[in-house]
Amino acid sequence: MWSRSATAWRLGTIAVVGLLVMPVVIDRDSFPLSTYPMYSRARTAEVTIPSAIAIDDDGGEHRLGLQVIGASDDPLIVAGELRAAIARDRAADRCRSIAERVSPSLVAELDLIRIEVVMERHDAVAQVAGESSLLDRTVHATCAPEAAS
Amino acid sequence: MSRLPPIIHADAPAERLAAVRMAIGMFSVIYLVSRIPVLLGLRDRVAEDFRGVGIFRWLDEPVPDWIVTFGVATAVGSGIGFIAGACFVVSGPVFAVTMLGLTTYRSSWGQLLHFENLMVIHLVILAVAASADAWSVDAHRRARHRTAGGTHVYSSPLRLVCIVVVISYVIAGFAKLRYGGLDWIFGDALRNHVAYSAARLELLGGTPSPLAEFAVRQAWMFPPMAAAAVVIELAAPIAMFGGWYRNTWVGAAWLMHLGIAVLMLVAFPYPLFLVAFAPFFPLEKIVDAPPLIRLRGVGAPRSPG
Repeated sequence: MWSRSATAWRLGTIAVVGLLVMPVVIDRDSFPLSTYPMYSRARTAEVTIPSAIAIDDDGGEHRLGLQVIGASDDPLIVAGELRAAIARDRAADRCRSIAERVSPSLVAELDLIRIEVVMERHDAVAQVAGESSLLDRTVHATCAPEAAS
Repeated sequence: MSRLPPIIHADAPAERLAAVRMAIGMFSVIYLVSRIPVLLGLRDRVAEDFRGVGIFRWLDEPVPDWIVTFGVATAVGSGIGFIAGACFVVSGPVFAVTMLGLTTYRSSWGQLLHFENLMVIHLVILAVAASADAWSVDAHRRARHRTAGGTHVYSSPLRLVCIVVVISYVIAGFAKLRYGGLDWIFGDALRNHVAYSAARLELLGGTPSPLAEFAVRQAWMFPPMAAAAVVIELAAPIAMFGGWYRNTWVGAAWLMHLGIAVLMLVAFPYPLFLVAFAPFFPLEKIVDAPPLIRLRGVGAPRSPG
């Protein structure tokens, strides 16, 4: 068995170290070989965050939950995948998926008339402090919730 | 000038590698089971959202649904074999490959999950090593160690598993200086990351950390925290010297992850549950602790640790 040879392990160790360092050299992140870029940028307080909101018939806005927006409890996954969908011009499809996950009872209770997939620019520090933070909002897709369609 | 201590695991017994196999295997199977709904949910995704990464970079479209189902079932089954060390020559590689496949496949839908990297690389290393020479069904059947290769058979993979951890942290520290520059340490970068995580959760309908608002208001504390994070990550190689060096680094790294979890609600379960750091320790000695069930009866007599 090759794994019993000391030479094989030395060569294997060199190979693994090379593979781990390679993404850094070519500056390309992937999986499972990574540049570990998460949280490494010198981020400013101004942030752009993808989301989806529900609008009622009075024009009121309602935040939707993680499960409804991205079918996951992980905000990293929900935001990352929604951002990727918007970048790939797939916001309309995402909007329909989100609309399907909004419960009909909530649609009826809040008189929801549409779902919007948006990209919002906020002052994150102000947002966390509970102050007015929205700087800009771009609507990438609009669709009707299931019960209202 | 005093010399540095020797590198850890110079003469590791089979039980040490076996203990690491069991610890990482158990964590991986529990993690896998907790992720089954997410993994099976990938079958319902819109094909256009798929962008293969890593070993699936060549894939233009999602795999058929039955492959995902089969992959999950195979991973769970082989994972149990991996933990137990049963038919390890088959269960080890099968579990490692299916976990690599499933995690890569999940990361091919728009968001790389970096906290799965270490776990998967560790599984691959353990799968090709003599990880089931002790404390395993295989060893129990053979009723003796396979010592044909000498102690390097156990030391080398243990060291490699530790080296992978060390390099990953060094790369993460280097990334902060590379992409963020010194501003990452001396500016508001870390404070803004904490604020971003909280804002993202709130805008996506979640609940941010109750400590986020308080922390963000204390701007003064972030540069020291940022400096500490970079130092901890870049100092990872000292853990290879064992003893006080290892304990200090592991403690510091764990506290860093705890801080991230508390302030940002971003949990890296593999290090947070100490599984990522377990290979740095003589894990086999844990069975000498009186309250624990002794496992010596399974497998061959223990080598001196």
